[in-house]
Amino acid sequence: MAGTAVAVLVFVVVAVALVGLAQAGGRFDIAFLTSVYIGRLLAVSTVQAAASTVLSLALGIPLALSLARRTAFPGRRLLLGLLATATVLPGIVVVFAVVAVYGRSGLVGTALRAAGIEPGGWLYGLPGILIAHVLLNAPFCARVMLRAFESTEPEAHRLAAQLGLTGRAVFLCLDWPVIRREVPALAALVFLLCFTSFATVLALGGGPDRATLEVAIYEALRLDADFARAASLSILQLAIGVVLAGAYAAGLRRTRELPFAGRPAPRADREIPALRTLDVVVLSLASLFIVPPLLSVAAGATSLAALRDPEVAQAVVTSLAFALAAAVLATGAAVLLALAATGRGRPPVAVGLVAYVQLAVPPFTLVAGLFVVLRPVLDTASMGPPMVVLVNALMALPFCVRLVEPPLRQSEERHGRVADMLGLAGLARLRLLHWPALRAPALASFAMAASLSLGDLGVVAFFGGPDLKTLPLLLYERLGAYRTDEAAALALLLALLVFGLALLAIRGGEARADAA
Amino acid sequence: MLTLRDLSVDYPGFAGRYTLSVPTGGLCAIVGPSGGGKTTLLSAIAGFEPISGGSLEVGGTSILDLPPARRPVTVLFQDYNLFPHLTVLQNVGLGLRPDLRLAPADTRRAEEALASVDLAGMGPRRPATLSGGERQRAALARALVMERPVLLLDEAFGPLDPGLRLEMLGLVDRLRRARGLTVVMSIHTPEDVVGVADSVAFVESGRVLLQDTPEAVFGSELEPVRRFMGRRGGQRH
Repeated sequence: MAGTAVAVLVFVVVAVALVGLAQAGGRFDIAFLTSVYIGRLLAVSTVQAAASTVLSLALGIPLALSLARRTAFPGRRLLLGLLATATVLPGIVVVFAVVAVYGRSGLVGTALRAAGIEPGGWLYGLPGILIAHVLLNAPFCARVMLRAFESTEPEAHRLAAQLGLTGRAVFLCLDWPVIRREVPALAALVFLLCFTSFATVLALGGGPDRATLEVAIYEALRLDADFARAASLSILQLAIGVVLAGAYAAGLRRTRELPFAGRPAPRADREIPALRTLDVVVLSLASLFIVPPLLSVAAGATSLAALRDPEVAQAVVTSLAFALAAAVLATGAAVLLALAATGRGRPPVAVGLVAYVQLAVPPFTLVAGLFVVLRPVLDTASMGPPMVVLVNALMALPFCVRLVEPPLRQSEERHGRVADMLGLAGLARLRLLHWPALRAPALASFAMAASLSLGDLGVVAFFGGPDLKTLPLLLYERLGAYRTDEAAALALLLALLVFGLALLAIRGGEARADAA
Repeated sequence: MLTLRDLSVDYPGFAGRYTLSVPTGGLCAIVGPSGGGKTTLLSAIAGFEPISGGSLEVGGTSILDLPPARRPVTVLFQDYNLFPHLTVLQNVGLGLRPDLRLAPADTRRAEEALASVDLAGMGPRRPATLSGGERQRAALARALVMERPVLLLDEAFGPLDPGLRLEMLGLVDRLRRARGLTVVMSIHTPEDVVGVADSVAFVESGRVLLQDTPEAVFGSELEPVRRFMGRRGGQRH
């Protein structure tokens, strides 16, 4: 019951936002939506997202295969740790890292100047966006694919080794099916993330001709206060989001629930000399791409003194308060949703759909819609904090559900009948049966939601101002003002906070694996 | 008296029509090929299956409309009978108070039940520190404190060693005689129940093909029984 209520509440919020937008937009502006401007915007976003996806997969899949083959080399654990770190870094921190390495006065720029070449402003625009997106998503792809490759049955590799299969045959027989199974969902997700990317494109886009729809909506709202345009753009974004989320959901149905990786099988193609060379090349190139930006974030340690600034302290407090509130909200809702989804009988449809809301409905659509509806009642300043918390919680909700639902389902499958027989219901069921299984995942969900909220530069960019500043917003401002030292220190602080929370989330996930 | 008359369970690809009767205090063993519907039969009695027809009575009263917790029935499953994070005593206590707010008298009863299955003093331990046989005995203790007249065992002793299995069967037999329990148990190894079971029901394809004394069922010339017992047509051992 409570879970269904949460699901319905989510849909009501979304519906209110959409209705608000539709009214603000007045008549639906077909002429605008079919204009050359929109066509160009979509074409540019599509090319950018497609290129980001292809490059992320092109780096991530070989990297995953090399890591699967080479299970023991010095620095493997460190590299895995760095991949995990890159995956959770907030977009605006990645922007800082990309500028620090590839920017005019960054590592590459300095090296070029030393060689007598004046570095141009090539970074701002498509190149910078692509580098940042690949830096965020290739490690993600590598981690997902590594886990998929490692979950191939040990018997298959034993058989392949016994048959003496060539490297090509091992790839075709064992790895290609995994790739075919996992990549559609992965590609759809990465494409969606890049297509709707906000922080990266806002900071590195270098002008209106490189905007994504997100950025265009933001500009319509924040710079031009043009609600009609924002509404039309949001509705377009929503339509595209629904299609892409559908593609992701369809792809996800092909993948399978991976068992919690026990010891991965020793791979059959480990001893093939040509592959040994290939792996050295792949691992070196990947490290060369991923490590310097992360080091540049770590280098912020040298300018930590720049953090002694009341504005920073205020931003830390604000960020943590928002993150805490969003995490509590998202985790509570996720537990209720998961309880509704795992109970006896068919789960309510609304509960299943909630997981895709965040993918299909862009945060700015929500913000813009709720802003329009609430404007007569609340002023912008007092609307900011609750809106940031609410929208961040909604954005984190699907991830939280995915963390708490499987252990709850397992607990229900194993013990549900005994509990039914004993008449264990309501709170007693939650306390005695589910909570022990749920404690670690709930903590993980809390940490995950907090870390997403902490790193988010989206909603807050719209509501932010002198009175409302979070760490990502402050970092964005410092980057824009070329206050490099302060930006470096802020990026490190933000990265450490987010990383700490992510570590907590991973621990929670592992505790769950141990208990299983 | 436990009576099933055409108790019907329907799934795509499976249709169970069960007719069975076990007198009060009787012990009936369910045998038959895997996938034949033994577990479904027990689940249907316990209230875990949607029923599409027929009748199910205990002591002449229909129990079809009762939820699992209110049926005069307890079940021992093959595994996951105990909650791993609760102590053995708490697990037994759940049979008395589903919210675990145990009064001192409840605790005493739970301890007595543990003693009656030879687990005296094991109350404070966690299920993980118990052997497989001990875990099933603890679950049996919980079934006893619930004081339900019908006890169902769903291959509850299947994973145990043969010696331990016979020991557990002996315990169940003793307890049902002492307390007048009606027992229905599905089993894997027919020879175990000769001398213990009053009757054996042979279940295949969702039907009780035959219910009779153990000797009569195991010696039956019915083709499915012969196949199940591994006897060639026409030959008798």
